Amino acid sequence: MSVRALFAVAGLIAPLWAQRGGTDEFVQLEPVLQAALHKASAFVVTVETFGGTRRVTGKEGPMDGLAPPKPRPKPKPKPKDPDDDDDDGEGKKKPKIPLVAGGFQQAQGKTTGVILSSDGWIVISRFALNLDPTTVLITVPDRGTFHAVRAGEDTSRGIALVKIEADDLPVPEFVHPNDVRVGQWAFALGRTFAQREPTVHLGIVSAKRRLFGRALQIDAYTSPANYGGAVIDIHGRVLGIAVPLSPSGRNAGVEWYDSGIGFATTIADIPHLIARMQEGQILQRGWLGVQLSTSHLGPGAKITGTPKDGAAAKAGLRKGDIILKVDGVDVLNGPHFQMLVSSRLGGDTCTLFVKKKRKDEPVEIGPIALKNAPWSEQQRGAEEVPASFSLPKGDGGR
Amino acid sequence: MRRRLAILIAACAAVLPAQEQDFGKRYSFAEREPRTQVEKTIDRLLPSIVKIHGASGLATIKAYATGIIVSDRGHIITLDQILLQADRTRVVLYDGSVHRAILYPADERLGVRLLKISPEDVDGKLQPLWPPSEEQAGYHNGQFVVSLGNCFRLAEFSEKVSATFGVIVGTANTALRYRMADVKYDGDIILTDACNNPGHYGGGLFTLDGRWIGLNMRLLDSKETNTMLSAAIPARDLLPYLEERVLGKPRVEVRDEVVPVWTGITLFEQAGRKSPPAYVERVKRGSPGRELGLRIDDLIVRIDDFSVRSCMEFRRVLEKYKPGDTVKVMWKRGTRVMTGEMTLAKEPKR
Repeated sequence: MSVRALFAVAGLIAPLWAQRGGTDEFVQLEPVLQAALHKASAFVVTVETFGGTRRVTGKEGPMDGLAPPKPRPKPKPKPKDPDDDDDDGEGKKKPKIPLVAGGFQQAQGKTTGVILSSDGWIVISRFALNLDPTTVLITVPDRGTFHAVRAGEDTSRGIALVKIEADDLPVPEFVHPNDVRVGQWAFALGRTFAQREPTVHLGIVSAKRRLFGRALQIDAYTSPANYGGAVIDIHGRVLGIAVPLSPSGRNAGVEWYDSGIGFATTIADIPHLIARMQEGQILQRGWLGVQLSTSHLGPGAKITGTPKDGAAAKAGLRKGDIILKVDGVDVLNGPHFQMLVSSRLGGDTCTLFVKKKRKDEPVEIGPIALKNAPWSEQQRGAEEVPASFSLPKGDGGR
Repeated sequence: MRRRLAILIAACAAVLPAQEQDFGKRYSFAEREPRTQVEKTIDRLLPSIVKIHGASGLATIKAYATGIIVSDRGHIITLDQILLQADRTRVVLYDGSVHRAILYPADERLGVRLLKISPEDVDGKLQPLWPPSEEQAGYHNGQFVVSLGNCFRLAEFSEKVSATFGVIVGTANTALRYRMADVKYDGDIILTDACNNPGHYGGGLFTLDGRWIGLNMRLLDSKETNTMLSAAIPARDLLPYLEERVLGKPRVEVRDEVVPVWTGITLFEQAGRKSPPAYVERVKRGSPGRELGLRIDDLIVRIDDFSVRSCMEFRRVLEKYKPGDTVKVMWKRGTRVMTGEMTLAKEPKR
């Protein structure tokens, strides 16, 4: 308490003192930053994992698609064009360039988590579970170490929930993304190297509603040293959870950690999903299974292909069909259609209003239940899954 | 004064023939007065920072670093991990003057080395810095720092070294390495987001008010994350070496005989697995492990502050201790996390 009082006093004095010497923003900022950090250090926890049979290498591949450990999906032949929501399927024509120097392996170091509720729900990064650990321990500052039981995950957001047996835990205030502005402070906190207070990287909110409304983009450095940690504002409130993500959902994270392109999954806007994860559900990105034409400028989104095992193909959508409405919303063009559909998860439904090829009257199709995104372990064995971040090719500094 | 300048110019002309015309006269430029705390601090510190060129001579310099003047008798501290050659090492001062340096024996543990130039050759007075005393040496996460160093050897002649700005990210005491080689220094290091780049090594990390808190290390690899870190050795940790070499204080080296410790714990190590978690397979009767109350299938997760994630780490951590030391052990039994204290013993004779 006395420390806090000290910070408060410092916060009052510093600006006055700074005024003498003209504008001295950093001198003024330092005590404010310290106060926010101190406030946040109570609810940012340490995550340690033990055991785990997976080898996580730096080969290029999915993170978002990391299949949950149970049940194991049966090996299937690789679908030709497995997704509808990254870039109209264009990217797949190009040969993929691995961004990684060989031999990189995810280390099983400490990671970070944030207390979600006073009765012991903790949100951590999916990254911490990449190795499929057998034991997860959570250390709450000043409260000790607890055994954690794994609950659900949202692989599309890169977060997972665990539960510890504890009461009266300090709970942060989570800020709804609607109350966030681009340009405001965003500090990424981590526990990997922390001894007393969490480590801190400074930055601002770079963008909102990234990855179809799932995350904020920040320019504070994020890396395994703070994945799972809180991204806080200047008042010590939580804007989101730092996670490795990537727009395509395949390269699994920041291609270059500490790159200034980081993501913070927002929490305040997904209470319904938190509830599902508490029940142990594994949420994954939804997959409708349509490829869209880039030359068709609207209105509507024109389909150029429907992979055989996709939900769209099963529902009878074919090449040449034009989607006019999604759940009653008029589709302006292809990108608009992506925005409407890509925020959904596997199991969510959508009802489409489609003008079939060679038919005049549009028909309603659906509700169609989206499948889980298929890019997962099908391409490689369960023993080896890709890391959720990569290193630049070549020397890469090592 | 003028004659000395002439000599200096001649010296520079001799060592930098290609750039003779550019640097024919003292190289300076107009600047406004520093206004903010950051500007004032940098302005005050820059004369104490020197550029160091080692190894293969000034014509084809490959090895370069930064140093900090620590005495008015010409002592300069730098990182030892650049190629320094006794007869080839040159120190370039703030005013552009070039000096020969003699090398002191390095401190193996810290990986730092002192150089000395002769103060008689210096035009004016050296402005030494000294690590702050224990009370002054405090720093905390999120504190703003200025890092000064000659990154990528961008500063030539009297050009000033580069200043970078950031915060203290944290302090760490963790397994680290340079490229694949383990780092000998085992104390706390300061992590910062003010980037370290080649050449920045050996420069200083300073607070807003100009306290010297760290000596920049090379870019580190953390074994904890497999990522790279910018880090600095806390300046106060340099004191024993500096006091010995600069002030001539005798240093008391405590070197214990290495005696392996014995816990009586056998871990479950499956064949074919590289480093399985540290599950207890057997605990010898009458051993420290038995006294602690460990049972079969307990998972050892921590010894003091060290995380134990594998059998190998269990052994590595114990190497840091000697018989008679008491350690705090944390283990997991089922879903319970338990702790206890164990006094390490010597291997019993058979």
